[in-house]
Amino acid sequence: MLPVVRASGQLAVRRTGPASVHLVATAFGPLGGDDAEVRLVVEEGAVLAVRSVAAAVALPARDGDRPSVQRVLAEVAGSLDLRPEPTVVVRGAHHRVSVTAVLAPGAVLTAAEQVLLGRSGEEPGRWTGTTRVVVDGRPLLHTTVGLGPGAPAWLPPVAPRAYASTVHVGQAAGVLTADDAVRLPLENGWVATAWGTELHSVVRAVEAVA
Amino acid sequence: MSSALLTLADSRLPAGGHAHSGGVEQAVAAGLVHDPGSLAAFLLRRLTTSGAVAAGLASAACQGDDLARLDAEADARTPSPALRAASRQQGRGLVRVGRRAWPSPLWDALPAAPHHPVALGVAAAAGGLTPRDAAAAAAYLSVSGPATAAQRLLAMDPLTVAAVTARLAPDIDAVAGNSTRSADGSLPADTDPLLDLLAEVHSARKDRFFAS
Repeated sequence: MLPVVRASGQLAVRRTGPASVHLVATAFGPLGGDDAEVRLVVEEGAVLAVRSVAAAVALPARDGDRPSVQRVLAEVAGSLDLRPEPTVVVRGAHHRVSVTAVLAPGAVLTAAEQVLLGRSGEEPGRWTGTTRVVVDGRPLLHTTVGLGPGAPAWLPPVAPRAYASTVHVGQAAGVLTADDAVRLPLENGWVATAWGTELHSVVRAVEAVA
Repeated sequence: MSSALLTLADSRLPAGGHAHSGGVEQAVAAGLVHDPGSLAAFLLRRLTTSGAVAAGLASAACQGDDLARLDAEADARTPSPALRAASRQQGRGLVRVGRRAWPSPLWDALPAAPHHPVALGVAAAAGGLTPRDAAAAAAYLSVSGPATAAQRLLAMDPLTVAAVTARLAPDIDAVAGNSTRSADGSLPADTDPLLDLLAEVHSARKDRFFAS
């Protein structure tokens, strides 16, 4: 069965394969003050890959300093592979993203995020990302990472402009460390994180420990 | 405020905290902490991440939230095996002394070897303290032990280190204050991947002075 899709507002969704959809931004942004919600339901036995067509560029609010918000809520009994293109947060913008994945026993999840603070040569924006994964009613992972000027733990000498993180449930893996990258084990899964100056090298680093 | 809070936050309470550097030992080895300024920055990033999480958990445990659920939430917020082990070791140490210091049936609801902030919340409740007190103790302990560890590792001037810690008071108060009034009732989950990395590199070393 093909994915059933519905969208309104700043995001459109396109079926791009028998088990894949792409998110398409229909407007410039997200802009400060925007509030987008993405709901994903993957039933038992189903497989879904979610991608986006281009990097999202988070821009500041036209007035005031409200953040842009994106909430992803996923209910997974089958297999979900969520890997959108990077988010670039421009100077003066604050993008808040949360991914909440509620998994049934035996469900498979891969969820990746890639962030770059500031366009080339630009001052960094601010990004706050929360990931919560619940498996069979028990919390497996719940973390909030704050990056950019004003984030309390974003302090020199470790104040990276680029960040990438992938969480996986379905196959276990142990601890792995590298320069500015770490993989941590979760029950039947793992979470890998890397940070640095350039997004392309950070993405390579997270893939090396994933 | 009750003097039980002073006892709970006192580094001389034999709960085993002196054996842990809170990541400072590895931060020193990596060259990230080398003087009072870099120590202050390290303590601030620890306070606003793992300190904030500990304050939220301690406050909720003191309030009487389900302790097994809180312990599971602590696990979810501590994916680093080295940091999990350090937290559970210190939790067990605190239960040992806390049971004697403040006898109460509240201790019996704790899981075996609980996460330290959860045990701290129970200790606060058993000692007649408020959730805000529990959060304050958790926030303070997230920097006081690491500060002492830095002093020992770098042979820093104790007066300077005391001043660095004392100047964090407004930040400690802010973390403790925020932990007890989250709008949607969810607990803080702030994390610092750098601390996870330092903890895992540290636990693989053979030549360390501190357990974490």
